[in-house]
Amino acid sequence: MVKSFDKISGIVFLVISLLFISGSLQISGSAYGSAVGPKTYPLILGVVLGLLSLRLIYESFKKNAQTQHAEKSQMNYKNFGIILVSAILYIFLLEIIGFVISTFLFLLVAFQVMEKGKFISSIIIAAVFSIGVYMMYVNLLGGTLPKFSLF
Amino acid sequence: MGTVQYLMDGFATALQWHNILFALVGVIIGTAVGVLPGIGPMSGVALLIPVTATITSGMPTEAAAASSIILLAGVYYGAMYGGSTTSILLNTPGESSSVVTALDGYQMAQQGRAGAALSISAIGSFVAGIISLIGLVLLAKPLSSIALEFGPAEYFSLMLLGLCAVSGLAGKSVTKALIMTVLGLMLGTIGIDAVSGIARFTYDIPVLYGGIEFLTIAVGLFAIGEVFKTILEREADDEPIAKISRIMPTKQDLKDSAKPIARGSLLGFFIGVLPGAGATLASFFSYITEKKVSKKPDSFGKGNIAGVAGPESANNAASGGAMIPLLTLGIPGSGTTAILMGALIMYNVQPGPLLFNDHPDIAWGLIASMFIGNLVLLILNMPLVKIFAKIIQTPKKYLLPIIIAISFFGVYAVQYSTFDLYLLIACGVFGYLFTKNDYPVAPLVLALVLGPMIENNMRRALTISNGEWSVFVTSPLSLIFLIIAIAWIVVPLILKLLGRNVVINEEE
Repeated sequence: MVKSFDKISGIVFLVISLLFISGSLQISGSAYGSAVGPKTYPLILGVVLGLLSLRLIYESFKKNAQTQHAEKSQMNYKNFGIILVSAILYIFLLEIIGFVISTFLFLLVAFQVMEKGKFISSIIIAAVFSIGVYMMYVNLLGGTLPKFSLF
Repeated sequence: MGTVQYLMDGFATALQWHNILFALVGVIIGTAVGVLPGIGPMSGVALLIPVTATITSGMPTEAAAASSIILLAGVYYGAMYGGSTTSILLNTPGESSSVVTALDGYQMAQQGRAGAALSISAIGSFVAGIISLIGLVLLAKPLSSIALEFGPAEYFSLMLLGLCAVSGLAGKSVTKALIMTVLGLMLGTIGIDAVSGIARFTYDIPVLYGGIEFLTIAVGLFAIGEVFKTILEREADDEPIAKISRIMPTKQDLKDSAKPIARGSLLGFFIGVLPGAGATLASFFSYITEKKVSKKPDSFGKGNIAGVAGPESANNAASGGAMIPLLTLGIPGSGTTAILMGALIMYNVQPGPLLFNDHPDIAWGLIASMFIGNLVLLILNMPLVKIFAKIIQTPKKYLLPIIIAISFFGVYAVQYSTFDLYLLIACGVFGYLFTKNDYPVAPLVLALVLGPMIENNMRRALTISNGEWSVFVTSPLSLIFLIIAIAWIVVPLILKLLGRNVVINEEE
């Protein structure tokens, strides 16, 4: 897994470096009295990353020829997927349905995904956390968090 | 004013009631963070920056910066201590710096001496904390006055040295570590260029004009990445926890560990001062040293108290020592200090030689508060060991989602934008992928913090020299820094080629 990841990431880094170099060449060059303009430093970085990613690709192919350990471990992709999606939904809904409700829903879903059961204590902990944080932050510290509003 | 006077003023700052409270809260949270599986010092500190930022939001900037850095530093060394609790009781080190503690600590726990092991590590941490603080007090003034002589060229080379040192020791592959460093530097260039005011890599997206917020990246890569890892690779059953019976160590225990503590503290301090070599190396070297010095090297790994006392002192001393380059030179030597530096910069306080002149109450207040914090840590931990051991049992079911929610709240409260939250999630995924495939993420965060400063110093130096690049090698100090920087990368490579085992510094 590590080796194939290295190959892919090496190529991705190479592409990033090329994009970065071309991007930095498009930055307008005037230096306003200083000897070096705003594009020199990013240009150097782009070139260095390019060289390093070539080295990484070389290393990953070289090691590939030697040995390859395929380690399979039990991965919890399903749980991770659900939590990731619900986290994204949480962000999306945060400014629409407000902090308290979205946080409560996210926590409830995540608690149940982690381990089914104990529904009541999940509800209580999620509610205490979301309402508690909101009250403390908004009422005590005078901050603002998105409120529930349909408009 | 002499150092003593400054230190007294520092105590005056640190002893204000709210700062005592901050130090107290910091070390308690820190210990809890260290004890909790899955979050280490680095993610703990990153996670708490937004929280402290909100708590201190009503205060004047200077005082707010002092208070929050006091709290965050408390979290840092509290977590360093807390990590040992899990190694001793569960044989699962909370962070890599307490891996060696588990060797003898867990054995001691098996023999019913868990209490002694825990209290010795508390005492060792305390002594080490005080020794490294004395070192910090003595070195702070002279080092920062030397650093005041530095020009932009010297600074540029010194920062490069810092980056190379951290990358050279950061992981299994130097190439990967360097790639992460360069990625961090690249992320640092996004936004409006500070010198010319030209937008770079913003692609007309408004949120990018302000640049990529370091906080989002740090919390995402460390805290969220760690949570994702635990969700994905969750182990079904937790090991039973060793029982703690007697807390106080016996006289014999104290006698046996006095010298290891002293040796560990000194060793750890000097290793901590070096950039790149952090607490992990310090504890590792201390263990080796103790084994060499000991009359009964065979007893190591079977519950020898020296094997707990030495490494535990060393890793705490190293975290104190790591504050020296951060405060005096403005160069963080490790991931956690990079995050602390980012926190200071958020408050518009620039760590470095000028810190002691411009913001003496922050610098000396922090130092003084670390004395208080270490004392609090000792007083709290001896009687509360059992309670902290309970924290280990916090069900992950509740812990992990709440960590995500706290990170979201924290980042949103500081940034007020959902863009940063999406970025946070993306960083979490990348953080997991990177760490899993041996790409160290600490250099990336360090580079992101140092990046803008490196560029500014480079351009300033080149402006002074009329565009002559040779300025970096004609100044003797700058040349020395560059040579050391190259050596730091090249020497481990040569050693590897020669077939030697190179000790690497894992994330801490």
